[in-house]
Amino acid sequence: MIRFLVLVLFTGSAAAQEVTVDPPEDGSVSRAEGLAAWERVHDVVSHPRCANCHVGADNIPMWSGPSYGETRPHGMFISGGESRIGAEFLPCSACHVTLDAGQSRTDGPHRPPQVALDWRLAPVDFQWFGRSSAEICAQMADPDRTGGRDWVALAEHLRDDAGHGGFVKWGFDPGGGRAPAPYGLQAHIDDVLTWGAAGTPCETGG
Amino acid sequence: MTRAATITRRTLLIGATAIAGGVAFGAWAVRHPHDNPLAEGLGAGEASFNPWVKVTGAGITLITPHADLGQGAVHMQAALIAEEMDLEFGQFDTAFGPPDPAYYNRAMAAEAGAAMAALTPISAAMAEAVAGGAMKLFGVQGTGGSTSAPDSFDKLREAGAVARETLKRAAEELTGVSAAEMTTEAGRVILPDGRALPYTDLAAVAAEVAPVRDVVLRPSSEWRLIGRPMARIDMADKVTGRQVYGIDLAPEGMLHAAVRTSPRRGEVLSYDASAAAGMRGVQDVIAVTGGVAVLADNTWRAFRALDAVEIAWGPAAYPAEQAEHWEAVGASFTDARMDAEWRADGDAAAALSAGADVAAEYRAPYVAHQPLEPLNAVVLVTEPRVEVWTAHQLPRFLQQRVAGVTGHDAEQVVLHNQFAGGSFGHRLEFEHVTLAAEIANARRGTPVKLTYSREQDFATDFPRHIAMARGRGAVADGHVTAIDIDVAGAPVTASQMGRIGLGGAGPDTQLPAGVWNAPYGPEHFRVRSYAVPGLAPVSSWRSVGASCGGFFIETLMDELCHAAGADPVEERLRLMTDPVARGVLEAAAEMAGWGRDPGEDRGLGVALVESFGVPVAEIVEVTATEGGIRIDAVWVASDSGTVIDPVNIENHIQGAVVWGLGHAMNSEITYRDGMAEQSNYHAAEGMRMHQCPRISVRTLEAAPRIRGIGEPPVPPAAPALGNAIFAATGQRLREMPFRRHVRFV
Amino acid sequence: MRLTVNGTEHELDVEPDMPLLWVLRDELGVTGVKYGCGIAQCGACTVHLDGMAMRACQVPAAAAEGAEVLTIEGLGGGDALHAVQRAWIDEQVAQCGYCQAGQILQAAWLLETSPAPSDEEIDRVMSGNLCRCGTYPRIRAAIHAAAAALREG
Repeated sequence: MIRFLVLVLFTGSAAAQEVTVDPPEDGSVSRAEGLAAWERVHDVVSHPRCANCHVGADNIPMWSGPSYGETRPHGMFISGGESRIGAEFLPCSACHVTLDAGQSRTDGPHRPPQVALDWRLAPVDFQWFGRSSAEICAQMADPDRTGGRDWVALAEHLRDDAGHGGFVKWGFDPGGGRAPAPYGLQAHIDDVLTWGAAGTPCETGG
Repeated sequence: MTRAATITRRTLLIGATAIAGGVAFGAWAVRHPHDNPLAEGLGAGEASFNPWVKVTGAGITLITPHADLGQGAVHMQAALIAEEMDLEFGQFDTAFGPPDPAYYNRAMAAEAGAAMAALTPISAAMAEAVAGGAMKLFGVQGTGGSTSAPDSFDKLREAGAVARETLKRAAEELTGVSAAEMTTEAGRVILPDGRALPYTDLAAVAAEVAPVRDVVLRPSSEWRLIGRPMARIDMADKVTGRQVYGIDLAPEGMLHAAVRTSPRRGEVLSYDASAAAGMRGVQDVIAVTGGVAVLADNTWRAFRALDAVEIAWGPAAYPAEQAEHWEAVGASFTDARMDAEWRADGDAAAALSAGADVAAEYRAPYVAHQPLEPLNAVVLVTEPRVEVWTAHQLPRFLQQRVAGVTGHDAEQVVLHNQFAGGSFGHRLEFEHVTLAAEIANARRGTPVKLTYSREQDFATDFPRHIAMARGRGAVADGHVTAIDIDVAGAPVTASQMGRIGLGGAGPDTQLPAGVWNAPYGPEHFRVRSYAVPGLAPVSSWRSVGASCGGFFIETLMDELCHAAGADPVEERLRLMTDPVARGVLEAAAEMAGWGRDPGEDRGLGVALVESFGVPVAEIVEVTATEGGIRIDAVWVASDSGTVIDPVNIENHIQGAVVWGLGHAMNSEITYRDGMAEQSNYHAAEGMRMHQCPRISVRTLEAAPRIRGIGEPPVPPAAPALGNAIFAATGQRLREMPFRRHVRFV
Repeated sequence: MRLTVNGTEHELDVEPDMPLLWVLRDELGVTGVKYGCGIAQCGACTVHLDGMAMRACQVPAAAAEGAEVLTIEGLGGGDALHAVQRAWIDEQVAQCGYCQAGQILQAAWLLETSPAPSDEEIDRVMSGNLCRCGTYPRIRAAIHAAAAALREG
C-alpha cells in the first residue's frame, strides 16, 4: 500500500498523447445528447483533481483522497490570495515547483503536484467547488464567465493547456497514486464539443 | 543554606587513581564505585577530577552525559558545573562522554522509589515488582522521565566545586599561598595579590596534588548563573546551520543505506530486487531482520532503489483493523484483566450503587512520535570494535544491543552520542541502530549511514499506547463526592522493556498515571487499571501514561463539576490539600482572570495534572468561529522547584503545551490491514503555527526539590482544551483526536 | 549540471530528477539543509532559489540548472549574522533546532517581501514550516523583532 518516492517520467509535450479538437457542426447534436455529454463533463469538472483548485472567493484550495477522510482545506493554512497564485503569502510554487516542459517531475504520494505552469487557483469566476451541476453548466455556457471562451474555444483551451504540460493534462494523469479525473482528456474534449454543438444545454433547477 | 550543608557529605568521594601516563582524579562513587571513564583517555599532565570535568593545558571539557534532544540538556548540565567551577561560557567545550555506569541516573531510580512510596493500598510484592521494572529500565545511564535536571542538579554542582577546590589546591602547591586565601573567577584561580592563574595552566600540577575530598555548595544567594536567563550554548550553531546532527555525518568512505521493514512488524515472505540492483549508485541490496536494505552512494538513490524492490509482507501479530483494537480494549474491563487497584479511598462502589450522576467513556488513540530528524545511525564495524554515531537516550543498553548484532562485547561498542533533532521518546528505541549495525556488519571496514525515510519512520514508529477509560461519579449539594474510574490500555512499560530484553513484571504504572495520583480527595475515589494483551507494540511518548490518564480524569472531573453546578476551579481547590498543587491552580486561575465572562461563543477550560512529580495547571480560552474552533490563549502555571534558566523553561513549557494541544487536536495512528494508515506529516501534523495560541507561563518554586519539566506540561493541555470547547459550545469531547468531532481553524 | 551555492559555483553529474535537497546534502555536503519529510510538508529543506524561498525536496535538479542557491550557511554573508538569526538568538527560539534553518530562511524571505508582517501574514507564510518542539510563540516574536530591526536599519 505504501510506496515511497515513486518516480514517474512526465512527458511535458503533447506529442506523446496527441489530442485534437474536432467540433461537430453547431446545432447538429440533440439536447438529450448534449445533456448526456454535460453529465460527463460535470463528472470531470466536479472531480477533486479539477474542483479542488476551482474554489471560491475564500481562495483556499482543497485536499482530498483516502488519507484525508472527507475533503478538507489544504493544510498548512495555505491561501492562494486574491492573486490566486499565493503571491500575498506563500506562493504556490514554493512547493508546487514550476517545471520546464519536458522536465521530469518529482512525484510520489502526497507530494505537491508539479506542472510546467506556475501552480495557481483558477479565477474566482470559474468556481466549481461546492457548486451544483446547473450552476457550473450556466457558468461554462456564459463566455463572460469563461474568460471570453465559447464552447469551441473551451475545447481548444483544454487542448492547448495539455500541450503546455499544464493543469488539464495533469488532472488526467496526476501521478502519486491519486485518482485521475474520469474518461480521459480526449473524451472530455469531445464531450465539451458535443455539449456545445447541442447549444450548451443545462438542466434547470438541478 | 541548609541544603548545601546536607549535600556535601552525601555524595562525592574523591580518590586518586594512578593511570598510565598521568593521574586521574576522582574515582567517583555513589553507592557503588565506578571507575572514572575519563581516566582512560588522559595524557600526561591532564587532570580529570571526576567523570564530568577534564582539564588539560589546552582547554577544559565538561562532560554532559544526558542526551540533548532539544531540551537544552547540554547547556543545563554545563551551567551547573560552571556555576561552581567559576567558568564563563566560551571557556569550555562540552562532550557527551562515553556510555558508562558512572553516569548512572540517580533521579530515575529515585523517581521510581518515590512513586512506590506514594502508592497507597497496594501490596508490598506489587510495589517491588513495579519498582523493579522501572529500575531495570531506567536505573542505568539514561535520559527520559523528565529526570535530567533532578539527576544533575546536585551532582554536577558538586563536580564543579570539586574541580574548583582541587585547582586551588594545585595553585597552593605552585605558589605556597594558602588555598583558603584564594578565590576563583572566570576560569582562573585568583591569588590575594591579584595574580590570576588560568585553570589550564594548573592542570599539570593538579594532576599531582591530593584531591579535595569534600566540598560545600554555594547557597542560592551566591549563584551567578542558576535562576538567570542564559543564552544556550547550542543556540548560535542552531541558527547558523553549524549544528551537526547524526543525520549530517559523513565519515570518509561512507555508504548510504535505506531500509524498509515490515509495516506489520511481521516477516518478509519474499522480495524481488532485480529492478533495484542495476540502478545508478546502488552497491548492494541485502535482507535484514524483518525487511530489505539498499546500500548506495547517496541517500536519495538508496531511497529510490528501495522503492523499486517488490516485497511481500507477512501478517501482523496484532489485530489488522483499528476497530478490532478498540474492541479488544473495550472488552478488557474484567476481573481477569485487572492489573491493579491503585486507589480505594472511601467506598466508591457503595457510593455509586444507587446510580452515577456522570458515566462516560473516554478514548486516547495511538500517536506517533516523529521528531523532525528522522531516525538514523552511522555504524562502522571492524574487528576490534564497533563505532556508532547516533543520538540515543539509553547508551548502555544500546551498546549491548549492537554488540548482540555484531558479535562483539558490549565494551567494544563505542557510542558517539549526537545532538538529536527531537525525540519525544522516539530515541529510546533500538531498532534503527541494530538495523544499521546489521548492514554495517555486512560491510565491515566501511562506515554505513542508515537514514530512515519519513515513511519508514511512520510505518515502524512504536506509538503512544492506546487507552480507554470508563468513569463514573456522584455529586451532592453542589460538590463532587465520588469518583470511580477504570483505565484499560496496552501496557506500555512491558512492551518497551520487552524490546530492551528485560521481562516486565507486575502492574503497569503508566496505565493509571495522572489518574491514581490526581491530587484530589473526594470522599470516595477508586482507580483501577486493566492491561490489554495482544495490541500493537507501543512506546513512551512524551509524558507517557499521563498523556492519556490526565485527559480521562480531568475531563471526568469537569463533567462532574458541571453536574454539581460547581465552579471547576473552586471545586478542584476544595478537593485538594497539597499546597504545591493548590499553588499552581490558583496561579493559573489568577493569570487567566478565571471567573470573568469570556463573552459570546467563547469559553475557558481548566485542567490540573501531576506527572513526574510536577503539578501543572493550564487554562485554555477558545472561540467558536465560523471557520472552526480557534484557541486564543493558554495560561500555564507549574511548580518543578528551583528554576535553572527561566527562559529555557518557558520555551520548554510552551513547547510541551503545543505538543499536548496539537496532538489532542490533530493526530492519531490507526491500523488498517495491519499497517499504520498515516505515512507522513500531512496525516499527522501535530500543531502548526496558525493554530498556536498565545501561551503565558508562570513557574512557581515552592516544591521542595527540583524536578524535570520536559513532560509535565503535556497532560493538562488536552483536557483543558476539551473543557474549554465544552464551555464555548456545549459539546463534550471524550475522544482524541478532537478533529474527529470538531473543526479547528 | 551547474549550480551556485552560497556564491560558490559547482559542476555536477546527477540525475535530472534528483531533488535539490539531496544534491546539496549528499553531493555537495551542504548539511544545513535538512531532510524532514521529502514531500514539502515540513519546510526543513527550505532554501532560497534565485531569491525565492522554495522547498528543496521538491526541486528536481534539472529545474535548478544554473540557479543561485542560498542556504543557512550563506545567510548573512557567512560570518555575519542576518537580522533574523540575531532575533532568533535574542529570543532563544531553538530547542532541538532541526527545523530552524528552514524557519529562518522562510522568515528572511517573508521580511524581504513584507517588512512589517501582521500575525495573520506570519501564520499564512510560516505554517508550512513544521516545528515538532513547538517553538512557534518564539518564532512569531522573533520575526516581529527582526522586522523592527530591519526597518530601523
